[in-house]
Amino acid sequence: MKTGKIFRIGVVALSMALATSLASAQAANSGAQTIALNATLAESLTLSLSANAVNFTLAAGSPTNAGSTNITATTTWVLKPGRTAVGVYAYFASAAAALTDGAGDNIPSSAFFIADNAGPSTALTSATVFNAANAGMQLANVAITGANKNASRTDVMAFNINLSGGTLPQLPAATYTGTLNIQEQGTP
Amino acid sequence: MSWQTKFGRVAAVLAVMLAALASPLHAQVLNSGASTITLQAVLTDSISVSLSGNAVNFNLTAGSSNNPGSVGVTATTSWLLKPSVGSVNLYAFFSNSAAALTDGAGDNIPSADFQISDNAGPFTTLTSTVPFGGANAGLLVSSVKILGNNKSGTRTDVLNFNINLSTLPNMNAGTYTGTLTIQAQAI
Repeated sequence: MKTGKIFRIGVVALSMALATSLASAQAANSGAQTIALNATLAESLTLSLSANAVNFTLAAGSPTNAGSTNITATTTWVLKPGRTAVGVYAYFASAAAALTDGAGDNIPSSAFFIADNAGPSTALTSATVFNAANAGMQLANVAITGANKNASRTDVMAFNINLSGGTLPQLPAATYTGTLNIQEQGTP
Repeated sequence: MSWQTKFGRVAAVLAVMLAALASPLHAQVLNSGASTITLQAVLTDSISVSLSGNAVNFNLTAGSSNNPGSVGVTATTSWLLKPSVGSVNLYAFFSNSAAALTDGAGDNIPSADFQISDNAGPFTTLTSTVPFGGANAGLLVSSVKILGNNKSGTRTDVLNFNINLSTLPNMNAGTYTGTLTIQAQAI
């Protein structure tokens, strides 16, 4: 009887000690303070050229009048969702007078050729999103997928002027100048 | 000696004795019973965090590991604790490790690419499971051991932020928003 009483007292005392211990181990938390985060990844589409001038030493009537240097166009983009393609274009403002001597003698864009990344040489005779009719070409079309929303592309352009067609063999000696534009577009 | 003289002397002696006896009886104090007042003074334990700012902006560069936040935020933790508390811990966390920041169109910046530098220390990602927030979405910013001399105290943590996009090179352009929560715990 006496042993049982002592045992019961012991159990009660142990329970109280345990309860006290648990209560003191309880964590106290502060209120939660928040910081609003706003991160903007701006959409961008840029183009850089390795150089901005090409010279041609023309031979009358010759289909092969290569440019003095190739130019590398590096296209870089960071796109929003929904863009499906990036196009790279080369074009002149005028199909009839891609290069001119300023005295009425012109080299049309159809006689100006670009070979992209060692591909076939192609005349600038297409309408593009940037140029007047029949004065341009699409150098490249990159399909945008989940894997290349942020990417870059290089196009090495080699140039040639073909003076063998039409009246061009009769082109007078002169200095012909012109401006070729390279531009890109992300769509849609 | 006449009887009158004798009587006078005896009377004088008696008067002196009476006076001597009467004086102590008159000086004795009278006390009431003691009544008690029970006093209870409660110094409530407390812990709080205040922030110097509640918004941070980031101008992201695609693929870059270095996209710092526009401003640092100072977290000031103040506490008044019970004797049994062993430490005060400050945590930073997101509710979701996979989408710490999101553009709302399924493109997310995970907490693993969000970094905090505490008091000019190294930048650390929020990839731990802490008492608050989502799994693998938190960071123990600081821990103060509570001793006899700092049961009441404060601590400041200057938090600087960075988003590392080197592991997310194909992230869409867009505006990504999220909520970082700072909370302290005494345990």
